[in-house]
Amino acid sequence: MTEFSNDTDFRKALDALDATQQRLVAARFVENVIALCSDERIARVIRSASDSKASEGELVDALKTARATTFDCHTRCGSEGDWAEQAGYFVARAATAALTPLGKMPSGPAWQAAMSCRMAQTSMSIVSGDDTAGQESKQQYRILSEFLDS
Amino acid sequence: MSATLERGIHAFKEVIDAPVASFFSSCVRCGLCAHACLFYTETEEPKYTPIYKLEPLRRVWREEYSFWGRLTKALGLSKPVTDDMLTEWETLVYDSCTMCGRCSMVCPVGNDIAYMVRKMREGMAASGHAPAGLIGATQRAVTIGSPMGVKLPALQAQIRHTEQDIGLPIPVDEVGAEYLLLLSSMEIMNFPEFIGAIAKIFNQAGVSWTISSEAFEATNSGIQIGVSDIAAELVERIVSAAEKLKVKSVISPECGHAYMAIRWEGPNLIGRPYSFKVVHILELLDDLREQGRLKTTGKETQRLTYHDPCQISRRGGVVKQPRNLLNMLAEDFVEMPESGTMNWCCGAGGGVSSNERADELRLKVFNRKKQQLDAIHPDAIISACSNCRIHLEDGLEEYGMDMPVLSLTETIAEHLAGSEQPGSKE
Repeated sequence: MTEFSNDTDFRKALDALDATQQRLVAARFVENVIALCSDERIARVIRSASDSKASEGELVDALKTARATTFDCHTRCGSEGDWAEQAGYFVARAATAALTPLGKMPSGPAWQAAMSCRMAQTSMSIVSGDDTAGQESKQQYRILSEFLDS
Repeated sequence: MSATLERGIHAFKEVIDAPVASFFSSCVRCGLCAHACLFYTETEEPKYTPIYKLEPLRRVWREEYSFWGRLTKALGLSKPVTDDMLTEWETLVYDSCTMCGRCSMVCPVGNDIAYMVRKMREGMAASGHAPAGLIGATQRAVTIGSPMGVKLPALQAQIRHTEQDIGLPIPVDEVGAEYLLLLSSMEIMNFPEFIGAIAKIFNQAGVSWTISSEAFEATNSGIQIGVSDIAAELVERIVSAAEKLKVKSVISPECGHAYMAIRWEGPNLIGRPYSFKVVHILELLDDLREQGRLKTTGKETQRLTYHDPCQISRRGGVVKQPRNLLNMLAEDFVEMPESGTMNWCCGAGGGVSSNERADELRLKVFNRKKQQLDAIHPDAIISACSNCRIHLEDGLEEYGMDMPVLSLTETIAEHLAGSEQPGSKE
């Protein structure tokens, strides 16, 4: 079984995946934190992202929805922030990353999605006061291991 | 005259200094400033002519400080500023002006209209004519230390998690560090990757730095709303932290108005020079590049363009530095027409973004940015202001344009050479 214990190896493994594989594993990262986002559009988006047979049109539509949700969820400059809502923003951002075609961002979609999912958990930890540093990354290592071994 | 109107008029009189008086007396009513303002060009409504937005202030100047104005006032022939007038002008001064300063660039007699709008907001705020969003942001900045209500435990959580992700320490309250890094609340809340990017870059370049737990906020709502006392108080907090930590320089982050506030307005607000330097993050990164301490690997192959944040490029003079840095990263860089000091504003600066009432107009005038982008068809936009970044994303979404908006600092961190850190692309 493939195992990960650090982000350097984790990122290398993610970057080695092809575009479809990156999308599929990124969708699993998002599924792991989807409870943090109250916007139902993201659940629909992730259903498309995790479908290995999704058509190009479906993926384009899902990306548009993910992006629109991200804009609806972000905290505007100067307004009072709510960290629970901010967690939802990062989940939406992770979903957007999952569906963004390879090469459109400096970092790969799966890595970007993983980072945004961790930020969602950080936002929730700010609300709860619990120190959850590192827990999401360990879950992501497990998700990637299972994905590679499936 | 109501008490609030009286306070407003008094504040107008207070802010009419020699530059403001000479600007009003110099104006030749040519209207060139209108064509430099995206709120006018995209709506063609004369009320959005920049100099017209200053009419209440001009009226007070004329009545109080000009011969003919005083005479007409004495004869009862002048039109006094009223509460109704200020109510009408509130939207012109706060919703349809980002204080981007493009109008000041084209004025043939050299009037700094953005400076005058900044001054006029003092009277508007004093008379109770400021938008609710900006009032709330200012109250939070004073009471909590952040316009978005970001408290120290939240920053500490972001730091802890960033350290975990990048495997590098993020120094806090380190006395004697060379640089004190400020952050905008937007970065802490919406773009925490910025903190990790800085840590990776500074680790490679061997920069000694710290964040202050007592004054981490870079933004200054006092300047945006137009209350100099509050603006000075917010600057003092940073000065006090910088002096306590004995830093040599303070770094203004990827935030336009923060740079204007701390670098250019700050010493005047507190009435004394700083004991430290202030640099924008792009100035520092370009210095590090020049010294050979910033090394990158690989280039972005997509077609990139750079959006100049008004307060950093036009008002701040940081124009060549981002281009030097982009030269390290971009294989296919293309300038927008009218880039650099004459770039068009994103439409959300100067407090417009925190003013929900202005949303419809803000997105309408984004059409100007769309035209700039349509002329060059980039694959992605890079910028160096979190507020510009989020508004560019919003505007692109509104106009159905598909291109990511990236942070220059974060993109550099993605391309750091020789880094074993997990966050780097190599």
